[in-house]
Amino acid sequence: MSTNSDSRLLSRRESLRNGALGFGYLALSSILGNATLAESFVAARKPLYRQRAKRVIFLFMKGGPSQVDTFERKPLLNRDHGKPLPFAKPKVTFAKTGNLLGSPWEFKPYGACGHQVSELFPNVARHVDDICFIHSLHGTNPAHGGAVLKLHTGSDNFVRPSMGSWISYGLGTENNNLPSFITICPTLAHGGVQNWSSGFLPTHHQGSSIGNASIASGDARVRHIANAKWTANQQRRQIDLIRELNGRRRMNFSSHPELDDRINSFELAFRMQNAMPEAQDVSSESKATQNLYGLDNPVTEDFGRQCLMARRFAERGVRFVQVTHSDNKVQWDQHGKLRNGHQEKASEVDLPIAGLLTDLKSRGLLEDTLVIWGGEFGRTPTVQGHKMDGRDHNPHGFTVWLAGGGVKGGFRYGATDQYGYYAKEKPVHLHDFHATLMALLGLDHEQLTYRHAGRDFRLTDVYGKVITDIFA
Amino acid sequence: MRGLSTHFFVHAFACFCLLGNGNGEKASDHWAFQAVADPELPRVMDQTWIRNGIDSFILAKLERKGIPTPDRAIKSILERRLSFTLLGLPPSMLDPKDSLLEQLEELLASPHYGERWGRHWLDVVRYADSNGLDENAAHANAWRYRDYVVRSFNEDKPFDRFITEQVAGDLIPWNDDFSVRRSNLVATGFLSLGPKLLAEPDPVKLEMDMIDEQIDVIGRAFLGLTLGCARCHDHFFDPVSTEEYYALAGIFKSTRTMESFKRPAKWVENLLANSEEQQLSKKHQDLVEAQNAVVVAYRERANQELLASGKFNKLPKKPEAHYPEPTRKILENLEKTLKHFNGSSPQLDFAMGVQEGNVTELHVFVGGDPETRGEIQPRGFPAMFAAYEATNFHSGGSGRLELAAWLNSSRNPLTARVIVNRVWRWHFGRGIVETTDNFGLLGGKPTHPEMLDWLASRFIEEGWSIKALHRLILSSETWRMSSGPHSIASEKDPDNRLFSRSPVRRLEAELIRDSLLHLSGELDLALGGSTWSHENRKLVFNHTSEDNTNYVTNRRSIYLPVIRNNVYDLFQLFDFPNPNSMCGDRTPTTTPQQALYLMNSPLVRQAALGFSQKGFGSDPKVRIQLLYNSAFHRDAEPHEIRQSLRFLESFSSKSEPSDKWHAFAQSLICSNEFLYLE
Repeated sequence: MSTNSDSRLLSRRESLRNGALGFGYLALSSILGNATLAESFVAARKPLYRQRAKRVIFLFMKGGPSQVDTFERKPLLNRDHGKPLPFAKPKVTFAKTGNLLGSPWEFKPYGACGHQVSELFPNVARHVDDICFIHSLHGTNPAHGGAVLKLHTGSDNFVRPSMGSWISYGLGTENNNLPSFITICPTLAHGGVQNWSSGFLPTHHQGSSIGNASIASGDARVRHIANAKWTANQQRRQIDLIRELNGRRRMNFSSHPELDDRINSFELAFRMQNAMPEAQDVSSESKATQNLYGLDNPVTEDFGRQCLMARRFAERGVRFVQVTHSDNKVQWDQHGKLRNGHQEKASEVDLPIAGLLTDLKSRGLLEDTLVIWGGEFGRTPTVQGHKMDGRDHNPHGFTVWLAGGGVKGGFRYGATDQYGYYAKEKPVHLHDFHATLMALLGLDHEQLTYRHAGRDFRLTDVYGKVITDIFA
Repeated sequence: MRGLSTHFFVHAFACFCLLGNGNGEKASDHWAFQAVADPELPRVMDQTWIRNGIDSFILAKLERKGIPTPDRAIKSILERRLSFTLLGLPPSMLDPKDSLLEQLEELLASPHYGERWGRHWLDVVRYADSNGLDENAAHANAWRYRDYVVRSFNEDKPFDRFITEQVAGDLIPWNDDFSVRRSNLVATGFLSLGPKLLAEPDPVKLEMDMIDEQIDVIGRAFLGLTLGCARCHDHFFDPVSTEEYYALAGIFKSTRTMESFKRPAKWVENLLANSEEQQLSKKHQDLVEAQNAVVVAYRERANQELLASGKFNKLPKKPEAHYPEPTRKILENLEKTLKHFNGSSPQLDFAMGVQEGNVTELHVFVGGDPETRGEIQPRGFPAMFAAYEATNFHSGGSGRLELAAWLNSSRNPLTARVIVNRVWRWHFGRGIVETTDNFGLLGGKPTHPEMLDWLASRFIEEGWSIKALHRLILSSETWRMSSGPHSIASEKDPDNRLFSRSPVRRLEAELIRDSLLHLSGELDLALGGSTWSHENRKLVFNHTSEDNTNYVTNRRSIYLPVIRNNVYDLFQLFDFPNPNSMCGDRTPTTTPQQALYLMNSPLVRQAALGFSQKGFGSDPKVRIQLLYNSAFHRDAEPHEIRQSLRFLESFSSKSEPSDKWHAFAQSLICSNEFLYLE
């Protein structure tokens, strides 16, 4: 819904808040009391959805893990292994594929719900009763770049803010000493910064990146977080001098409150210098907790550390934490050697993810933290590669799962066809997924808009249907 | 798969809802579509304040509001304002004995003027040295377009000519002057600089998205109109129908921007060599091949002789090692010559740009969906104003020359207004129309409509000269206003919409960096050229996240490569526009991440260190004065000297005595007075 206020008005108001790491739209609206925004957004209408989750941890599996080899069992695929796909392939595909390729992994049922999980995820499988599987997600872009952008920003051809930024804009932060949106070891390829960019939203909703995918998570830092020269006391003196310089009469313009705000931004930065390394430092965790995330094993150590950091950020009130599983290759992208590749990738993440779920649950955080697992697309049930042992990109039907944060556990929603190619039963488009994600956070994707270049934009463009069936 | 046709209905509905909240104005009555008027200057009471027409328009409104005639800022502040505005550099190169008007002329004649104002234009054309989007391939020749823009501003190229070159430079006659031809070809890089989905497997989508981007940037950069909306449905606010969109799109469909759509798709690069250079290159190539043939033949003969000698039954692995000494010597010499020829071949230059393609009229793609075809649309222009006789495409070409003529037509009410407003925005931090890139029905209304038209009329009268426009603005009393504090003005004009005082502006990212390097004496003021050696079309980031950007240089900021998806961190933090889309109105923000950068980055630390060494060894008071002068372009007042001395005395430092000066210098850099312009 359009408000009479233009983006200028909003940005001016926001500029008053710029010094803070960012009040969200909801918080801002209530602060402004009877101002236009509050009228249009909060006061005049009750939020459509109850806030079920307060924060998000998104475990991004870069490259596209195969749905038919992990969480969606397709018996017919194995029965008809080697036969042609009995229906048409999409008109536009990333590359040519051949006949059906059965899954090399066994599935078995887990938990009270009896959901079938493959041998690739034996540890995550133990949590199926807390997990809500969406088997019918679909997008359109079959190339990594386009699909990663679409997943993160809702658009593969235009520059748009990322979902983390929208959520930061919608809800703000619970911790004024940390950014509201943090992405740990993100990949710089396939959209790179665009995937955590605030686009046209105010910059403080931009994701703060800690390292990147080619850096070991133990070495990853926010840039410029530490000073190589001055002690904290010396910096304190500098900031005091800056305050005195700024307070001088000749720069004391009554109509420029943002100038006063600058000094607050220094104070916040000063505090962030402590808060950030403290949150990243996992050494204060017990040995048991560290092992829960696999920090004692070189295979799981890197991703485990990312997951543990994510929990520590979530605990400290960061709104949106993204953890990316990628290194100097496109991790889950097995056009060939599916068996070895997927086995290796899964063994790096399975235990840490299970550890994260266990840890969040035992701390009572899982109730209002939404954990999301998924890649930019899935893979084809049809075969690819010289040795007939790979799968191609498949944006037409794949699995993501959610846990905690007000979703039904031990629940499956939607399905692909009998072979796992197309989302068939209750298809969920990426826009629907975004709409649902926002609803779980108590945000209405149609109401959370930002006026830019002459029109009101939102994460879901003009689409998006909230899948209320998965709400607990 | 969700088709684009769904988009049509849903998007159309969403837009329609928005319209319901609009002001219900009819497109034909919209102010921006009316012809540019040449209004009379309004009467004002205080004639003594008036230096030119701008002042009359500004003061008339202030007087009506009861706001007193504004004060003038002191000269040192005006010098700082002038130098940063025109050159983007601190005022140290100005001679304080000169009058402001003399200083103005000196700065307009400086080659650094084009760097500052060229950079403004690069914001508008989403300039970048890499593709970004999905496949971040290097635009290794984009810098030629950047240098073309800088040159055009320095030469004060008439703005209408500047438009024509960028839209249709390849079609302009060049009268056998190949330097003109070269420049014109480079100019068309404008159309090709946008981000393209290079790995898109569907070539039709790739091409139509690219054409859409071209139409979008032309619409917003030159006309302030969001023409792209009409791809899927008639524009709900502005008078552009889907038919008109596809009529325009036909012009770009008839233009060749891509060399190949095969993944990864390749954009066109025009050869920048005249026939002589091409012949020379060809001759040299022949020479290389001839020499190569000699080497091959000689080696062949030597091998045969080796076999004939009877020492070997088959050729050994490294036969050269067994040649007789004289043979080996001769071969070495022949190869040396070949290597020399290879190394000295004349490099042929290329530049991103466009060419004429096959003339094609497009069907309307209903709802933007190429599968659902409507009627064929002959190429043409939106009829929102009758600027050009409809579809009169004489040249038989793509129609870009006609498009340029339409944009520059005296009956087009938008082009001059839009650029005049941009220039005003870059001077005052806010446009007369606040939405610099949107003059449509959803855009802002001008605060001073008559002044906008008066300026546009003067601009056209002066032959579309940007420098003449600067002279007009910079010689006004309005430009010389002080920033306050003005209690009455702040109360009666809280948002400064009437320009009742000079706005306080934060330095743009480039100005911060250039000033820092300037303070430490490290700024390299060399002009033009490529500063980034990366193979053309090679990925800046491949699948490995390996970073191939390189920002290590002391050249001015405009020469740092603009890498989409990995913009230089200082730029990202200080509101450099996202180079994926055009932007005529940067929005300044204040964030703790900026503070972290100023406190902790190596660049600021290094600059502060260099800066702090000014006046080394002299009396502390003298040294404080020197630092104040360099940072703020004014003397320190007595109480400021006392304050500074207090800081220096109390700053504990166990290591070096120079540390306290270093810390002091850094604090000056972090202060508002350094980072803001009054």
